[in-house]
Amino acid sequence: MTAYRVERRLEANPRHAALARIYGAIIAMVVAGLLLLLTGRNAFQIFWEALDAIFGSQRGIEGVLLRAIPILMTALAVALSLRMKVWNIGSDGQFLMGAFAAVGIGIHMSGPGWLILIVMAVAATAAGALWMLVPALARAYWDVNEIITTLLLNFVAVQLVVWASLSFWRDTENAVIQSTKPVPYTLAGLPGTNSLTIALLVPLIIAAVLWWIFRSTTTGYEIDTIGGNPRAASFAGIRVRFRILSVMLTTGGIAGLGGMLQLSAPGAQALGPGFSAQFGLSGFIVAALAGAAFGGVLVGGMFIASMFFAGLVLQTKGLSVYIIFGIYGIILTGVALGEVAARYRLVRQDILATERAAA
Amino acid sequence: MMLALIENAFLSLAGSAIPASTVVVLAATGVLLNERVGVMNLGQEGLIGIGAVYSVIAVSSWSVGSPWIAMLVGMIAAAVAGLVFALFVVVFKASQVLVGLALALGGIGLSNQLGTNRNGTPIQVQFQEVNPGGKFDDNDFFEAFLFHEPPVYLAYIVIPAFLWFLLFRTRHGMNMRAVGENPAAADAVGVRVTWSRLGYTVLGAALAGAGGAYMVLSFTPTWSPDIARGRGWVALAVVIFAGWRPFRAVAGALLYGGMISLGVTAQARGWDLPSLEARDLAFFLSMLPFLVTLIAILIPAGAAKIGRRVRSTAAPAALATPYSREDR
Repeated sequence: MTAYRVERRLEANPRHAALARIYGAIIAMVVAGLLLLLTGRNAFQIFWEALDAIFGSQRGIEGVLLRAIPILMTALAVALSLRMKVWNIGSDGQFLMGAFAAVGIGIHMSGPGWLILIVMAVAATAAGALWMLVPALARAYWDVNEIITTLLLNFVAVQLVVWASLSFWRDTENAVIQSTKPVPYTLAGLPGTNSLTIALLVPLIIAAVLWWIFRSTTTGYEIDTIGGNPRAASFAGIRVRFRILSVMLTTGGIAGLGGMLQLSAPGAQALGPGFSAQFGLSGFIVAALAGAAFGGVLVGGMFIASMFFAGLVLQTKGLSVYIIFGIYGIILTGVALGEVAARYRLVRQDILATERAAA
Repeated sequence: MMLALIENAFLSLAGSAIPASTVVVLAATGVLLNERVGVMNLGQEGLIGIGAVYSVIAVSSWSVGSPWIAMLVGMIAAAVAGLVFALFVVVFKASQVLVGLALALGGIGLSNQLGTNRNGTPIQVQFQEVNPGGKFDDNDFFEAFLFHEPPVYLAYIVIPAFLWFLLFRTRHGMNMRAVGENPAAADAVGVRVTWSRLGYTVLGAALAGAGGAYMVLSFTPTWSPDIARGRGWVALAVVIFAGWRPFRAVAGALLYGGMISLGVTAQARGWDLPSLEARDLAFFLSMLPFLVTLIAILIPAGAAKIGRRVRSTAAPAALATPYSREDR
């Protein structure tokens, strides 16, 4: 009989860690499926219906990609801050503020469409960054935990959007609709698709740029160093506080730009209470799943967007949106446990003995 | 005349702020208990939901006739969720941030799902306001402070006092704080770090559950989806504001409740400012609780920064860091 024992690794290899997170997520999905079965729902049927809803038609695939845009933007924002071990839980608020600024510009300025759209994008980025300013300053200079500050601002942003859409920017011509006036400008459509715009390219470009920054520049290296050990980083002469501030503002800006992209899709165009369907939350889960690797964010983003879209479709068939929340929670737990598992390895006792002898 | 008006406004604010913050006080004392032993549980929002929905279930499906027992059911349900959380983060040492957020999500999802068929149904079993006797009846002052339900007094006085005594006047409390500050040292002198963290994480979760139970058995008193509406996050914020001290946490929660009741009072009395429509004022007031809470978090750190001497406002040093002997 060979005995096995669990041994702690000195360092978790990034590849192992990524694999472990994916295994964690897969096991979590299985657990979620079992829970669905236990509560009398046919998990297999739900799964097939979800697959059919997504891949059964071009509309399904476009639907997923459409949801992937806001999810990817917030995920990239969260992932960037995670590189520095800073948790941006407020990407939903920054996303909303971006949309808020974009609507403000879009319904009050007139001019050539391309120019207005550019101004909207700049304003949205600035608004998202501005929404991050207080948490960023507090974290960088006063060491105030950013988790709670960023999260509280989500609630403020939601209220502000409700305020705008029911009061000062309310669409009075269609008084029934509880939203702002629609912005008359939309982004150019993506050739060969019915509902997608060039907005889809933005997260891809940002992911590529971030990937390059962290692969080839000092800035990226410094941020990773701060993430590893801020004290060591500061001894190495890195301006830690300044980097924290600038990275946090950038993450806010990315999420804010996401709000503008969502707003300038044909059909969206107006801001109302339900504008962000918890995109920030989905983005957070994507970033956690990807372990803040930007390529991984793209893959994870598509996965979560598929789930999100399937949830929307299945909602019409009696699967409640609350169950999706529950499944998100289970996946997040699976990812966290996967991270732990990556720090251990299973070894056979006799092999361990030989290894020890050799060392 | 003016003075009477101000007094009147203050009393009506206090009278509605006290019940409005009770949930936050209960959850915040739970958070304080968790964090003093080094565990950060971001799942408060979910725990409040679980505590609330199980109290509702106890009353409506299991025909529990006593609000205390219904509250106990809610507390046990939240404690079970807290035990699962503790198992993952204390025993398996998974990331407290990730599992905490998972608990927030899962708890909200679970409680909303369980509550689906109970939306808006009034809860028949409720806590009754204490009535200290006829002679206080006509007095606004006594009315604001005396006529509340029993859990309110537990939340504001009994639990924080007990917690303060436990943490700062007993050896056991000193050990608890050591576990939160320096678990390796505590371990070295024989304090059982894992057990202490497990136990107080579960107890803290039960307190958040009690908060949820109070909501549906007294405050609202009915079930509605997303019942916590940010109160769990406010509780986490309040503890930072309080510098991890029980009675300061009560004060922080009252600040939040004061802002909530400002909105309620403004609407009830039709307060109107010349330049703003009443409706706009209401919208503004509905974001105020969260804004004020945000500012409150910044106060201790800001005060320390500009050189004011504030007694230890720093977080427990080992907060959110898993402890394993092998790492020493």
